[in-house]
Amino acid sequence: MSGFHRLFVANRGEVAARVARSCDAMGITPVFGVSTADREGPWVREREHVVLGPGRSTSSYLDMERVVQAAVQTGCTALHPGWGFLAENPRFAALCEQHGVTFIGPPAHVMSLMGKKTPAKKAMGEAGLRLIPGSDGVLRDAAHAREVAEATGYPVLLKAESGGGGRGMRVARSDAEIEGAFLDAQAEARAAFGDPRMYLEKLIEGGRHIEIQLMADRYGNVVHVGERDCTVQRNHQKLIEESPAIVLDDEERARTLDAAVRATAEIGYVGAGTMEFLLDHDGTLRFMEMNTRLQVEHCVSEMRSGVDLVAEQIRVAAGHRLSFTQAQIELGGHAIECRINAEDPSQGFRPAPGVLEAWTLPQGEGIRVDTHVEAGYEVPPFYDSLLCKVIAAGKDRNEACDRMIAGLEALECRGVPTTIPMHLAILRSEAFRSNDYDTRAIPGWSSEGGAH
Amino acid sequence: MSELQGHHGPHQLPDLEALAVRDEAGHVELRSPTVGLWREGPAEGHALAPGECIGRIEILGRFARLFAPAGAGGLVVRNEGKERARLPVGYDSPLLSVDPSAASVGAAAAAAADAGPGAGGLVFKAPSSGRFYAKPGPDKDPFVRVGDEITTGQTIAILEVMKTFNRISYGGAGLPARAKVLAILAADGDDVDRGAPLLELESLD
Repeated sequence: MSGFHRLFVANRGEVAARVARSCDAMGITPVFGVSTADREGPWVREREHVVLGPGRSTSSYLDMERVVQAAVQTGCTALHPGWGFLAENPRFAALCEQHGVTFIGPPAHVMSLMGKKTPAKKAMGEAGLRLIPGSDGVLRDAAHAREVAEATGYPVLLKAESGGGGRGMRVARSDAEIEGAFLDAQAEARAAFGDPRMYLEKLIEGGRHIEIQLMADRYGNVVHVGERDCTVQRNHQKLIEESPAIVLDDEERARTLDAAVRATAEIGYVGAGTMEFLLDHDGTLRFMEMNTRLQVEHCVSEMRSGVDLVAEQIRVAAGHRLSFTQAQIELGGHAIECRINAEDPSQGFRPAPGVLEAWTLPQGEGIRVDTHVEAGYEVPPFYDSLLCKVIAAGKDRNEACDRMIAGLEALECRGVPTTIPMHLAILRSEAFRSNDYDTRAIPGWSSEGGAH
Repeated sequence: MSELQGHHGPHQLPDLEALAVRDEAGHVELRSPTVGLWREGPAEGHALAPGECIGRIEILGRFARLFAPAGAGGLVVRNEGKERARLPVGYDSPLLSVDPSAASVGAAAAAAADAGPGAGGLVFKAPSSGRFYAKPGPDKDPFVRVGDEITTGQTIAILEVMKTFNRISYGGAGLPARAKVLAILAADGDDVDRGAPLLELESLD
């Protein structure tokens, strides 16, 4: 019993389907906000929904007033933002609360603190996490950037204070590049985020991307649900995520998990959150940022722990205590997730909207598929191209990888190209299987397009 | 009181225009351009002029006036919200169905109805839809009583239209300058449609 009877799902596609699954299990009626492009979506069939606006998300999924009004007029007392869209917008969280709708996420002020990169870094550093060396706060100008870069040592990475998604970032490898990199990144940040403020970090090349899943209640209880390795990325978009991160040594893992839990408690965090780290060449995890929401790859942690993270988010938002203690979290075996997109990997990952003529999902031991699509579904051109996530679990990494390969081979999709061939090439590659790769390149796949 | 102030005050949102879609029957469906609570739409049988106000939409406690698009007018044949004080709507939700072919007929009928004689003689009809008040205040005497003599320009009632109070003056084309009230056809507090008979009259000219 959570305390909520009707919950507004302020998202679409696979995200909406995932939230609805936990609502169903908890006896909560989900009400969906959809755009006109999604009103026939399989996830809202025979479900209560409100059309928010036209297909373009700026006038539907991103229109805060429409979303909150839709939640209010359908009698919902809670709203789940999912991930993406408005999930990390503190103004939206505040607007929900102002109109009597419980926002399922952290308090707006905590979200706001973590959304600004340098205050977040400062808070995390004070709480005992190791940081990437760089500027102490935002930079005054290009000359200040040069001064800090010299002290830090080249190469450096210039980053936007309000950045995300890889925009507003530039690398400078020498004194000759610093001014141009600063000005270019600043111009991009101003255009993309309306905030030209920049900071600077030492560029760590060839690291691994590791993150920690956290869950907190209102009473100061914080539990971690282990770490995930998300090193396989393309243009800052994660392709494959897995847990545990086997490159991490046990001592550094234990130390960082512990510090992350303490830091989460210290900032008064509530709900599900993820801290992202870069694992450097010395084997040290260095804090990059905290995502104040559930993430696409949360399923990997669910597979290992058996915890329903969405249900836990809802319970915590309703004012309940965490339903488990740290000691009760048992992380077993190995889990891996592949994001299957309607993109053509042989054509530079060009998104390929179209109709799914055939769609058959894999089954079998240790296989979970999260999806919102079915045969006959038309992939709309307005949103990201995710078709499904396949998650495979096994007693160890090899078994999980083998199950994933079998699963992807059994997944039949006709009508649109998918990223399955790329995933299979990665999973079969020596580099991936022996864990010999880093953030600079996709193991088993060349950027020119193709397996190698 | 806040709603009354809000109508023209700081709580007023920018005006909105309804979406118009023509259906198979040749009717034009007016649909909501946003998410909110729609109220005060025109009654079925109302001759809707293009560009006319078709009620208000409440969005998070604030109000936007909603207008028919410039090209869409006709006889209102369906009002989706007629049974409810406030209809929750989403983007593209149907609000009204209008029959454009009946526009001229409707307008002519409405014009005739305003002035023309009723079945039993002369009738003064409501100039717009709204809530009819026979008295200037709860403890006050009514504006007119049966048997009273009324003249052009005299206030005979108050009509509350979209939270504003409008004095209704006697008069109109085809009505005599002086008339005797034979019957008052609406009760104090009634919701009346545009064109609904309010007074039955006898000419004193």
